[in-house]
Amino acid sequence: MSLSSSASGADAPHPGSAPRAIFDAARTELRVDVARGAGGRAALERYSDRVDGLIRQIYADAHPPASPVAILALGGYGRRHLCLHSDIDLLVLFGSTIDVEAERFLRAFLHPLWDLGVVIGHQVRELADFATLEEDNPEFLLALLDARAVAGARELFDRFADAFHTASTHAFILKSLLQLMETRHAGFNSTLYQLEPDVKESPGALRDLAATRTIAMLTDPLLLRRGPADPARVDAAEDFLLRVRTTLHLVAERNHNVLSHELQERVSEMLGYPGTETRIRVERLMSDYFRHARIVNRSLEWARKTAPVPVGPNIGLSREGIRFLDQVQAARNPASWLGAFQAAIDHGTEVSEEALSCIQQHVDRYRADDFFPQADDRRAVLRLLKPVPGIYERLSEMHDCGLLGRVFPEFQAISWRVVRDFYHKYTVDEHTLLTIRNLERTGAATEGSRRRFQSILSGLAEPELLVLALLLHDVGKWRDDDHAIESERMAAEVVERLQLAPDQRDLVLFLIRHHLRMSLVAFRRDTEDPEIVRNFAGFIGTEDRLKMLCLMTLVDVEAVSPETLTSWKEELLWRLYVDTYNHLTQRYGDELIHRSQAELDQVLRGRPDNLSEAEITQFLEGLPQRYLQLFSREAVYRHVRLARDIKPDQVHLSVEAADGIWQLVVVTLDKPFLFSNICGVLSSFGMNILRGHALTNPNGLVLDVFQFTDDEQFLQLNPDGSSQMLQVLEDVVSARADVTQRLRGRERGVLKGVARFSPVVRADNNASARYTIVDIVASNALGLLYRISRVISQHGCEVDLVLIATEGEKAIDVFHITKAGAKLTDPEQQALTSDLQRTLEETL
Amino acid sequence: MKMLKAIIRPNKVDDVKDALAKLNIAGMTVTEVRGHGKQKGHTAIYRGKEYNVSLLPKMEVEVVVPENLAEDAIKAIIGAARTGEIGDGRVFVMPVSETYRIRTGEMEL
Repeated sequence: MSLSSSASGADAPHPGSAPRAIFDAARTELRVDVARGAGGRAALERYSDRVDGLIRQIYADAHPPASPVAILALGGYGRRHLCLHSDIDLLVLFGSTIDVEAERFLRAFLHPLWDLGVVIGHQVRELADFATLEEDNPEFLLALLDARAVAGARELFDRFADAFHTASTHAFILKSLLQLMETRHAGFNSTLYQLEPDVKESPGALRDLAATRTIAMLTDPLLLRRGPADPARVDAAEDFLLRVRTTLHLVAERNHNVLSHELQERVSEMLGYPGTETRIRVERLMSDYFRHARIVNRSLEWARKTAPVPVGPNIGLSREGIRFLDQVQAARNPASWLGAFQAAIDHGTEVSEEALSCIQQHVDRYRADDFFPQADDRRAVLRLLKPVPGIYERLSEMHDCGLLGRVFPEFQAISWRVVRDFYHKYTVDEHTLLTIRNLERTGAATEGSRRRFQSILSGLAEPELLVLALLLHDVGKWRDDDHAIESERMAAEVVERLQLAPDQRDLVLFLIRHHLRMSLVAFRRDTEDPEIVRNFAGFIGTEDRLKMLCLMTLVDVEAVSPETLTSWKEELLWRLYVDTYNHLTQRYGDELIHRSQAELDQVLRGRPDNLSEAEITQFLEGLPQRYLQLFSREAVYRHVRLARDIKPDQVHLSVEAADGIWQLVVVTLDKPFLFSNICGVLSSFGMNILRGHALTNPNGLVLDVFQFTDDEQFLQLNPDGSSQMLQVLEDVVSARADVTQRLRGRERGVLKGVARFSPVVRADNNASARYTIVDIVASNALGLLYRISRVISQHGCEVDLVLIATEGEKAIDVFHITKAGAKLTDPEQQALTSDLQRTLEETL
Repeated sequence: MKMLKAIIRPNKVDDVKDALAKLNIAGMTVTEVRGHGKQKGHTAIYRGKEYNVSLLPKMEVEVVVPENLAEDAIKAIIGAARTGEIGDGRVFVMPVSETYRIRTGEMEL
């Protein structure tokens, strides 16, 4: 190999030359460049390219395996800034599992590199490894951002890039980068004015420059164009710092980056600084250094302050609010727009003007379906409608930029719609949005009379359905006739597009159709008349509907004009709510299904062939009428089948799951302690009971329906889980096994719980004609129902009906009980409630 | 002239208004008020907790009628607002010596 001493550097060795020859030639060429003060970016890029050639040759010589493999340059080498004595950082990436053949290749590839005396920083990974983020190795992740394919399968590199470059990975790397930077700067007392600076690590040096570019790359590629320094000056600073660094490497003959006093003299001379005295040359070098370091430092600070923080796919949080990182990409992907509004809500900010104009500019190109093509997108729409702080502002922004009317064309029909009447003060669209604002404010109420409505709202499992109903409740006002019917018709199309579950769909449409009903009854009917309340409760059917309709009425009336909702009206509404709630939960035991009832007739007429009229009538007669409101006809038929041929001590059950919630239906014949035993068995399997109904008909047939979460995944992990549960239930019900025994270990853990609020126990003999009602509100805990009902049974009471509800941490249970067929006497009530109170306090 | 001040159930306002309209009494003032008379407040219970409801929502209807119509108007109000239960309300009758029309400043007899 011949070396040229000319400024043009060495001749490239021929392909096929020995690796040593290629490497030596490359280094010699770089040395020459550095020696004449030209070891900047261009020289390092040339050197990196030469090393690429070397790697490719060694790769070929190592006979790569049949399965795909790629060699990636990382970090500074990836950026083509490989310095004279820098480590060569490589990633050897395999497309499939590393086998014997791959290991052979790895040795054949790495050994020649080691033989050259090169310090190789190598990592070996399979593509599948990138499915999970190596959070404990942020430096590696940062180096991967600069990954560049050097040799091997290009297609594998592309697959790696797809797997690696995700929004969440970028967000994690950015966070890590800022932390690493903080620590590194602290090591230099956070000042760039070091007398002996490290040209790689000091503040304002090369690593900061790379960090600036990385921040821009991860957040906004155009960021630096708007920065404090012209990009050309940043490039010049980089070239300068690289020239100093390569000179240091050449002089020190190792990977040495500290510009010490002694080396400052050598470097200033080699870089050709003018001056007769060393002192003057050094001063000029250092003044250049600080000038460039300051540019880097200012650019980095600018990037840190201005860069949007990635908070979702193509979505960043900036000082102006939520932005699209890449507007061109955003314009093509309307499904991501809703994500911008969700991000704004999640981060308590607004959507930036820039993003809003981008949406406004392109929104007309898309149809409603384009915004939620996938099930995930449809779920995202519902999530966006949760009544949390900021929802009104965001929906208003969506409306202003034309998005809301595109996502819900039905809503567009009432845009700026004026309906003249005596009461309304705003256009229909604004009235609608104000109802949602009022709900949002209700959710945030901490005191005053609004607090009671806040507690209703906080107990809703799916408040977003209420917001959806509010959004659509007046869309029918585009016409002048009965708008509730038209709104319901139009809303049916929306819920169809959103593919809501049947019960969600029914709920939303019910609320829209009847959104005026509760104000009519509360303000225009004599709600002190029990018959009015009874009829209203019968119409509403369930507590969930009641809660939502009550809130809907409140915020709808309030959105008519600032004066419409007086505290007087609020009071009337609250009273109707409480009376109806009490009716639904305490009085339903008095209204039983009887033979001549129209609803029973409907069930009989629609019955499948394998069920007889007699069978259905026998099952239903004497159950509360509410049963038919709670369960669909199909569910009723399933229950009737389950009750077939039931004998004493037998238990028939069915278990099924939907969306992570399990439902257990138990049919058996009544006996003392039955309810408590069933709850105990569920708890002994670790089941967390959320909702349920226990019903008893006059023939002693018991139907219990529980909805619960299987927090320990017992049913999921054990294919025969439900038959195990059945076995235990039968054993316990027939007194072959003792549930107390099964629960002992579990209860001990529960009883150590922390008191969240004091329990409420109240017995009432007036609400129902047949039963003593026991209302219990307590912190939810494993086995709670078991302990409550055990106490009730220990007092010799029969548990006929139970309503079980959970709102967050709160358990709300209503027991309908009798003793020897009659209501409890006052002393009996007192004894029972004080025992219950004690039990609940022990639980806490 | 007499001023009639009727405290009635909220849901009876429309009935009272219609009954007075039949007597050609058109002008009236309606106010949302709260209070209690014999129908003392009661205790509302929600989820086992008691809420004391001492003042009940009522409507107050005020009309000024000529002396010769006062008796019929009182009967009309009572007839329209009556349910027979406690809490139907009261009618107060007060003499009015003069009234003035603000727009013109003229006194009406």
